[in-house]
Amino acid sequence: MITGNLKSSYAADEQVLDNRWKRGFLLACLAGLAAIAAFGNNYVILIACQMGIMLIAVTGVNVVIGYTGLMSLGHAAFVAIGAYAVVIFHNTAGAWLPDSVATVVAIPVAVAVSALIGVIVGLPSLRVKGLYLAVATLSANFIVIFLIEQDVFAPWTGGMNGINTPAPNLLGWEMDTRREQFVLIAALAVLSLLAAQNLFRTRVGRAFIAIRDRDYSAEILGISLYRYKLMSFAISAAYCGLAGALFAYFYARILPEQFELDLSLMLVAAIIVGGMGRTMGPVFGVIVIVMVPEVITVLFGAIAGGGAELAQIRAPIQEIAFGALIVGFLLFEPFGITHITDRALRALNRWPFARG
Amino acid sequence: MGQILQFAINGLMSGAIYALIAVGLVSVFKATRVVNFAHGYLIMFGAYFYFTFAVLVPQAAWAPEWLQSWRPEWMLAMRADLPMFSPMAAVLDWLANLPRIVLGLIGALVCNALLGLLIERVLMRPLMGQSVFAMIMLTVGLISILSGAAQLIWTSDAEFVPSLAPNTPIRFELFGSMIFLFGADLANMVIALLIFGGIVLMVRYTKSGIAIRATAEDQSTAYSMGISVPRVFSRAWVLASTTGAVAGAILATRNGISPSLGLFGFSVLAIVLMGGLDSYLGVFVAAMVVGVLEALTQWQFGGEWAGIVPYVAVLLVILVRPYGLFGSKEIERI
Amino acid sequence: MRLNRRKFLVTSAAASTVLGAPAILRAQPSEYVVAASLPLTGPFATAGQLVAPALRMFEALTNQDGGIGGVPIRVTAEDSGYIPANALANYQRALATEENLVMYFGDSTGFMKLVAPELRGENARLMGSTSFASELADPASNPYQYLPGPSYEDQFDILLNQIKDEGGSTVAFIHSNTEFGRDPLAHGRATAEELGLRIVLEEATREQGADIPTHVTQLAQSGADYAILQGYVTGVWPQLIGGARQFGLPTRFMGTFWGMENAIADRVTDEAGPILDGYSGVMPYKYFYDPERGPAYERFAAFQKEAFAGSPLENYMPTWGLQALFSLQIGLEALRRVADKGLELTADNAAEALAELQDWDTGGFFGKPVSMVDNKIGTGRVYQYSAETKLFSPTSDWFTV
Repeated sequence: MITGNLKSSYAADEQVLDNRWKRGFLLACLAGLAAIAAFGNNYVILIACQMGIMLIAVTGVNVVIGYTGLMSLGHAAFVAIGAYAVVIFHNTAGAWLPDSVATVVAIPVAVAVSALIGVIVGLPSLRVKGLYLAVATLSANFIVIFLIEQDVFAPWTGGMNGINTPAPNLLGWEMDTRREQFVLIAALAVLSLLAAQNLFRTRVGRAFIAIRDRDYSAEILGISLYRYKLMSFAISAAYCGLAGALFAYFYARILPEQFELDLSLMLVAAIIVGGMGRTMGPVFGVIVIVMVPEVITVLFGAIAGGGAELAQIRAPIQEIAFGALIVGFLLFEPFGITHITDRALRALNRWPFARG
Repeated sequence: MGQILQFAINGLMSGAIYALIAVGLVSVFKATRVVNFAHGYLIMFGAYFYFTFAVLVPQAAWAPEWLQSWRPEWMLAMRADLPMFSPMAAVLDWLANLPRIVLGLIGALVCNALLGLLIERVLMRPLMGQSVFAMIMLTVGLISILSGAAQLIWTSDAEFVPSLAPNTPIRFELFGSMIFLFGADLANMVIALLIFGGIVLMVRYTKSGIAIRATAEDQSTAYSMGISVPRVFSRAWVLASTTGAVAGAILATRNGISPSLGLFGFSVLAIVLMGGLDSYLGVFVAAMVVGVLEALTQWQFGGEWAGIVPYVAVLLVILVRPYGLFGSKEIERI
Repeated sequence: MRLNRRKFLVTSAAASTVLGAPAILRAQPSEYVVAASLPLTGPFATAGQLVAPALRMFEALTNQDGGIGGVPIRVTAEDSGYIPANALANYQRALATEENLVMYFGDSTGFMKLVAPELRGENARLMGSTSFASELADPASNPYQYLPGPSYEDQFDILLNQIKDEGGSTVAFIHSNTEFGRDPLAHGRATAEELGLRIVLEEATREQGADIPTHVTQLAQSGADYAILQGYVTGVWPQLIGGARQFGLPTRFMGTFWGMENAIADRVTDEAGPILDGYSGVMPYKYFYDPERGPAYERFAAFQKEAFAGSPLENYMPTWGLQALFSLQIGLEALRRVADKGLELTADNAAEALAELQDWDTGGFFGKPVSMVDNKIGTGRVYQYSAETKLFSPTSDWFTV
């Protein structure tokens, strides 16, 4: 039972992880990730990598939807831009750099390019709000993917047929197995979560929250909507760009159709299920959104035993489950899983005095 | 010159269908302030219901023969001497299909209306008064549910469905070049325009239409005037799903039944936003403009570019007029 | 940590398992797994759902013949919805969860191109598929993937030469907007130029649910003598032809393998009349109803009568099923030859064995023995549909490109 979170120095007060439970939790997560990397079988590593990449993207979406309140249904476009930026960099400028350095330069380049495009896509947010912004970002998603698919750009993007991607090479450590890539992805995922949590203790983060709550009030208080809305889009696009870069390194080939509306909706669904505006929201959301189809697949495998008749209803059932998750959480638990864990932790804290 | 006309006419025809789809979206928005992102999938369900009642039911063992194909003696006699694809033959073929077309339409209208009612009661009611984001995401979730359910019930298959009107080929000369039209397309356009006009008139002049407009303006005042607001909501959704059923039947005859019919919903969404969410005139204009632009783009640049036209158009319009061409400005109360 | 007897026993048991593991692995596996991704939902669901039972038949017949080197096989199929990323996920899942995976059957051109760069080292398996894309027949860079027939580019060459022979001068390419549809176009353009044919239209449509009136009016405006349809399986191609006939367009239509299925043509003829009369195209195999079918087809027919009674497969195997069966047959033959030589069933050994398939009698799929050259089998025939007999009949000899 935590009786008080008392500090005796300014330094202690300013820590991100300010009590031993939070520090313990982080260490436990790191230990868990290390255990997965060391002992997990190929299937577990595969799922974990996918979760890691999605986690970074959903953190970005959390920034713009959860913390700033701007509705954006087109973030898959930034993932695409990050992925293609990495590939194009390796094929053009990166060819001059030695292999070991190319990756280390490519990732920040991809992040920067995504942030830049994020600012451009965010421009409508200065004019429109709510539903119109959602459709504007949706249109931006379609347009970006469309441009990538065009034959005009095919020499750089491979057009509709996709393009092969290089393996990451971190200063000489050639990561060509999934396990090694998992280490990179996990490290970056943890860092980006910590960065996001820290963001909301700074002035920029507080400005975002103010914009979410009442944007004209924020403006009156001196927060430049123009600057901060665009910054929000830029930061979330940067996160998604990082996820896209890792996506490109993880899969040997990327296709533009992997970044269409479905991915955008999956990101937003993850943040709804997990809880908007909370650090752990993306984590819970990604776990649920990635695990539910896999669980259904395993269940069907166990029931059907490889026969194809039942296999053909697996995909529709996965879709219905996805939709039902979104609808169910919106109707019954709009604040997501983090709200459930909040209540659980609160009950745990007060036990045995107050139940629930 | 003639080629432009051919594509312009094609564009007007598809624009009419977009307008028919859009009228449902606008009606639901006017009444409930909810934009239904899953409208395209409601239309897909309408198309599948039409398929069920017009193709599957007549094929079933217990259905009477004449439902599948009504060919009385006089028709067979007339048909026998006609060449394969003459206009009269097409009309006679259509007459033979008429019983199942009618059954299909009735079945689609009824079933889709029930579906709309179900969705409104179970999913939309609890969300009344909540944020815009919640309602958008709910309809987004609905997309997956409807899409998966359709695949589960009817496995995806591109089947023939009988077209709503005789499919006579029409050819004529205009400004020196040939224009090719399918008679069914022309008839579909006329049907779509009639229904659109009918709905606009209904909303203007009938009692339930006035109830919808009153609820759109101010829900609490409408309540105090004795209008049953929940019933207005149900009516709006039923209106949307029934027009969606007709639109679905039309699209099914044009493009064949497939799950990809749902994707029309997104381009119509863009059209509706471009025209103004609560303006029938606006969406009509926007639908026609986008239809013609798409056809012209297809003519000049090929089919792939045509797909992007609604999205580019809506972005351009929103940046200039944030509420669409004819939409009413949303007044935010501080 | 104090070393007591229990800890010692546990540690030595663990150590012996680890040390003994390679010895255990080298023993004979109890079964080999052949995994497949099929489009059971999505635009080509009809084809996928008919191929799934064919895979079961393949498993049963192969095990009747003793499997591979005496070890039985197990065939599993998963749905991909014709989305390459899903098929890739299925493949990765199969790699990660199935031991003794020896062969994979892919469901689309898109998937095969997507997975090609991943087939390295541990992740490589012999891979057949539904695709006849020419890029895949490249043993230098892509040794594990193969085509069970002539590539789409070859098929286009045959058709364009046929058009030239029949005196045509203008051609339209109507294709679906997928990798499958776009694959042979560049090569087709080059061949047409060589032959002096003019391409008056290149029209991309959706692979399912296409806007038929628009495309037919485009075709009408272009005035092409011939049109080649590429990238369709069950739909769009019959409606395009029907629409063109309704307008009285004299265009003659031709197709490639996946658009040559008799069951679809029959259904269209039943519902819409004899609009497909004269439709021709390239099909590498004999049709199931061919009067001179070989022992393989006879065996299938006997099995189907028993096992699939009451379903559409009772008396007929569509060309899609034949393609899957033959593709798996090729892989099986390669694996069997590796097992006969006593080598381990690795993807590299299998790829080498593929190249050794020369003058191989396939038991009735083709009219003559075939050879695997550059990871493809370039043999086939041109067939034409007659609405009267409701059958595709051959109009050429067995060619080999």
